Amino acid sequence: MHSYVRPHQFVALRLPSEFTKIQKIEPDSTVFLGKFGSFPANQIIGRPFYLTFEILDDADEKDGSCLRIVPAAELHAETLIEEGEGDGEELDTNEDGTPMRTNREIVDDASTQKLTWEEIEALKKESSGAGRDIISKLLESHQALDQKTSFSLAKYMLRKRRKYMKRFTVLPLDVSILTNHMMEDQGAARIMEMRDEMIGLLGCWGNVHHGGDASLEEAIAAKPNGRYLVVDDTGGLVVAAMAERMGILYPHDGDDYEEQESSDEPKKNEAGQAQDDEQQPTESSTRRPARPGHMSASGNSITFLHPNKQPNLSLLKYFGYNQDSPDETHPLHKHLKTISWLQLLDPNADPIYSEEPEIIPDSELYTMKSNKRGAYHRKRNRWARVQSVVNEARAGEFDGLIVATVMDPSSVLKYAVPLLAGSAHVAVYSPSIEPLTELMDLYSTPRKTAFISQKQQLKEQKQQQASDQNGANETELQDSDLSELMDEFYLDPTLLLAPTLQNSRVRPWQVLPGRTHPQMSMRGGAEGYIFHGVRVIPTQQTVQAAGNPSRKKRKVTAPQTPTTAVDSGSGVDVEMKS
Amino acid sequence: MPSPFLTPGAQSQLDRLALLQLRRDQTIPTILQLHDEKDAGYKEGKVTNTRFGSFPHSTLCDQPWGSQIIASKVDTGSRGRTQSKKLKRKADELDSSTQAEDKPSPQTPVAASSGFLHLLYPTPELWTASLPHRTQVVYTPDYSYILHRLRARPGSTVIEAGAGSGSFTHASVRAVFNGYPSDDHSTKRRRLGKVCSFEFHAQRAEKVRVEVSEHGLDGLVEVTHRDVYEDGFLLGDPKTGKSPKANAIFLDLPAPWLALKHLVRNPPEGAESPLDPTSPVYICTFSPCLEQVQRTVSTLRQLGWLGISMVEVNNRRIEVKRERVGLEYENTRGTIIFPKSVDEAVDRTRALEERSQLFRAAQTQSDGDSTPAPKTENQAKGGDSASKTETDTPARQQGYEVPVYKQGRVMTRSEIDLKNHTSYLVFAVLPREWTEEDEKRCREKWPSNRVQEPQGPPKSKKQLKRETKEQRDLQKKEQSQLETESQKE
Repeated sequence: MHSYVRPHQFVALRLPSEFTKIQKIEPDSTVFLGKFGSFPANQIIGRPFYLTFEILDDADEKDGSCLRIVPAAELHAETLIEEGEGDGEELDTNEDGTPMRTNREIVDDASTQKLTWEEIEALKKESSGAGRDIISKLLESHQALDQKTSFSLAKYMLRKRRKYMKRFTVLPLDVSILTNHMMEDQGAARIMEMRDEMIGLLGCWGNVHHGGDASLEEAIAAKPNGRYLVVDDTGGLVVAAMAERMGILYPHDGDDYEEQESSDEPKKNEAGQAQDDEQQPTESSTRRPARPGHMSASGNSITFLHPNKQPNLSLLKYFGYNQDSPDETHPLHKHLKTISWLQLLDPNADPIYSEEPEIIPDSELYTMKSNKRGAYHRKRNRWARVQSVVNEARAGEFDGLIVATVMDPSSVLKYAVPLLAGSAHVAVYSPSIEPLTELMDLYSTPRKTAFISQKQQLKEQKQQQASDQNGANETELQDSDLSELMDEFYLDPTLLLAPTLQNSRVRPWQVLPGRTHPQMSMRGGAEGYIFHGVRVIPTQQTVQAAGNPSRKKRKVTAPQTPTTAVDSGSGVDVEMKS
Repeated sequence: MPSPFLTPGAQSQLDRLALLQLRRDQTIPTILQLHDEKDAGYKEGKVTNTRFGSFPHSTLCDQPWGSQIIASKVDTGSRGRTQSKKLKRKADELDSSTQAEDKPSPQTPVAASSGFLHLLYPTPELWTASLPHRTQVVYTPDYSYILHRLRARPGSTVIEAGAGSGSFTHASVRAVFNGYPSDDHSTKRRRLGKVCSFEFHAQRAEKVRVEVSEHGLDGLVEVTHRDVYEDGFLLGDPKTGKSPKANAIFLDLPAPWLALKHLVRNPPEGAESPLDPTSPVYICTFSPCLEQVQRTVSTLRQLGWLGISMVEVNNRRIEVKRERVGLEYENTRGTIIFPKSVDEAVDRTRALEERSQLFRAAQTQSDGDSTPAPKTENQAKGGDSASKTETDTPARQQGYEVPVYKQGRVMTRSEIDLKNHTSYLVFAVLPREWTEEDEKRCREKWPSNRVQEPQGPPKSKKQLKRETKEQRDLQKKEQSQLETESQKE
């Protein structure tokens, strides 16, 4: 849990202008907030999140503190007062019921504000009270203020406050806040314009969750739980979101609980950071060895498929994980595995995988220089790691597939869906609908029906050939036999059940006494869509059952018309045709 | 018992919940059992009957999840059941086409000639779509966003008031799950995720409790039958009970503002707070009406909650279908028989025009011959149909060269029944309590004026201030210079 601001941690600072600024909080440094001022980082370290601070102009004489915590009552003061005065339900009205003040008399010109630009600038320099007295001076010298309706006055106040108040709120940098920050402040395109609600939906439809405890897992003698396959071209945002759902994103997750149990001490120094391994789910009660295996987790892991030689996970740095020099105490070090598409599909083409470094006997190793020895061990370790990650990924049986890619999603599903365990969920995000409608079409009912019947025909042909040659009638279809089928269908449509396409949008409202309405503007751009399907295992029996007399008869009479199930609606039940 | 929702393993197991998926949006939840006391009579043991055939549970057990399961021939004739039920079942079976009824079946089920389903492990999404409705259900688009905003993560504790139909219960337990409770030392040391569910309707509370137990969620979900407006959120006894130490709260109540007084850091009369003292607490209330929202928000403000925001979620499902327009699709179902382009329309009209010219020519001829009209009409008709096949055949053949699944154009549209409004979601956060003493201690630990500039020795706050002031003065000078210059110009 995000309990308090830790040193060396990234936090988000919300400014009066509603913008957020991401800032790494280094002890003994100064944080600059542009026109809103600056403050020493030490003054927010150790403090809880979600507090609003005001930057004072005069530092405390005794300890140099220049921040004041603004209490909640003060933040809500205006609305609370308004509510107190007649609940804010009614507009100010004259006796005849017409609104007392309207905008009828207001003349739009700059002359209403009597303070000149120079005077305001001078005020800014001299003023104290974190901008409050500027605002009050502005109000005083506004000529037409008494003509304003109370609503427009409130708006005016809000505008001025955003401009001059020297306040900021400290927010924990989690996936939700990072997403909103990326969407509004910089590079929405970098994260494929993925809104917060889409991240929540993607995780739910992908059924991404913590894989549970290792010890119990062994008790039921099952496969390791919670292995997810992720394809993410957002620079690591989706990986971060999934890791958050699986409890492997935050290095200090378990700490607060221990603190809470052990003492009241609200903060802990840097030396106490090494305590996070109780958070590791697959960890036994014994202490972890000094060097935890990189990418060694068996369950509750993310396998990240990337198109280049190196993965791009730059956004993970905000969560304390640097992909170039991963921190060994970070849970992702163990639970995040990266593998390139080349390594997955043609591992022998990758020298790191295929060329095993020669084993040097210990006796010889002793004679080597320490840096050479280190290089040798690094090479061996890297080879062993890539071997295990690639072999494990190729063996498949993943519990879910999450995709947000700029590549063609159908090409991802073609290779990734066969790697999933039965009943695993597939969730694909796309900023626009077209790549996903293509996907829906590839998994459509008519295609499924045609695929099944063509596969059956192929099989019968093969059987015929086999029995002609040597009388054997037990033959399985080989991959090579299906290549023609795959050229026609691109991917096997029978592997996914109930493909659905949806989109979701959150609409924010303003809730104020007597002024409740949807917010006037929101972000346009990409709508955002999610495709969902469930991996299933079509049984061979079905194919045999399809060979029963009643069906065969129809196939013989109309070999050219592939199906009559075309119009059987949105159902995926191919069997319906019979 | 591990829950099939959280750790389903590789195969379906006896006495666990499994979902039988018939088609999209049609899923039957069932607990796999070989023998069913209630339904005795089938030789195959417990059988689930669907419109796609009968499925003895012996064919569903110990199967890999996701398997396609073939329906079985089940002898339904020799069972001693009431007449009315029998008739109904017969109707069902007619629906599912071929079903051998009169043949006596052996103990081991025999595969039927048609009909199948898919065996899936339950997830909160599939469960939400198939659960028995008791109250208004919180659907996936809403709960996915709520849980994300509530920061319900592995290890969190969630309070849910108004358990209702249990959809949110299942979704939230998945979100907070990070291991089953046990006496093991290692699990005791870390905090395990938990859902504390409160329901004021006695029967519903009981049903949720049974469901939780059936789904293997005991110890992860604690169901309390309680009126939370009156008695608050402590576990066990309302006055002296244990605090759940919640990090996140979801209130699906008619009057959430009445429950908020219990969700404070320091309750009156020295009672224990149900909130986690070491973390910020997130709340979400779920109300269909704006008036409820206004009262809730007003109360939240009075109680010092921060970051109050209200949103609604609009979700729609999109149908994707190939739409086939063209004259060649005559006699094909689900198509629009209409010219697909101007060219086709022109060709068609031209052909018709030619035909009618032929007809007129024939008619004038016949007028001259003074033979009876019906015959020529017949001739004309014959000519008409001939020319029709002439013009249509190539197009139709062309159409059939393209396989059905590639004909036409892929189109999208919203599904017909849209959920236009579910509920308004109010979010807020309550920071940790922070006292003067805490602040003082923190100031000692992290001295405010200890600031290291990267380039030199630490500077005091005053020094810094002086510096910035000097900088400002400099800027000001520059500015005024610029101004005077521009004035001069």
